Amino acid sequence: PGVGLALAAPAAFPTKILCLTEVVSVDELRDDEEYLEILQDMREESGKFGSLVNVIIPRPTPNGELIPGVGKVFLEYTDVTGSTRAKAALHGRKFAGNIVTATYYPEDKFTMGDYGAVAVV
Amino acid sequence: DGSTVGRKRKSRWADEEPNPVVQLPDFMKDFAADLDPEVQALNLRLLEISRLLQSGMPLDDRPEGARSPSPEPIYDNMGIRINTREYRARERLNKERQEIISQLIRRNPAFKPPADYRPPKLQK
Repeated sequence: PGVGLALAAPAAFPTKILCLTEVVSVDELRDDEEYLEILQDMREESGKFGSLVNVIIPRPTPNGELIPGVGKVFLEYTDVTGSTRAKAALHGRKFAGNIVTATYYPEDKFTMGDYGAVAVV
Repeated sequence: DGSTVGRKRKSRWADEEPNPVVQLPDFMKDFAADLDPEVQALNLRLLEISRLLQSGMPLDDRPEGARSPSPEPIYDNMGIRINTREYRARERLNKERQEIISQLIRRNPAFKPPADYRPPKLQK
């Protein structure tokens, strides 16, 4: 069905990238073991809603410097159906006691590795 | 701490809270169907297709090298070719559109199909 035309107004539409905020703390991400566990938990759960391409959890650099996007979790799906389902299921759910906020994230920014943008609600 | 080795670690995700089973009154059912993510995705695609069809833009803008071989030409009785690329692209979108509408009707009987929607003919 793809005819090669881009959507006219991407901002108003769900994207394939789901951004979870208020999920993880910087301290948790510094710890290698915790980081891997969080990554695993994310992969397992988010894989239930669609075909997952990637899970990206930006980490603080070893020298303690904060980089944009730390504290966010990005779930990349092969299609919007996956991200839409995941948003419906994960938004408002608790992760390690935190109530998760799920928003769509601009695909172009994600592709360029820009994790600091304000997500599309 | 070796005690956790081999044992399944508990996920940080809270268990999915079972949605309270509330029997919605009939007049609320249409509304609830619209909240279904799959229905939402179908609605979005429907909007997208409708916009494409109405936009007047070329529907098949694949460059020469990226196209599959054309079928044999078909001409009408005036000698004008009917199955042009544009025509086929439009047919393809129309077909997808009809299918999406059929699905939406199936999921939500109260869905109001556009005036030009024709239910698919049942094959005998």
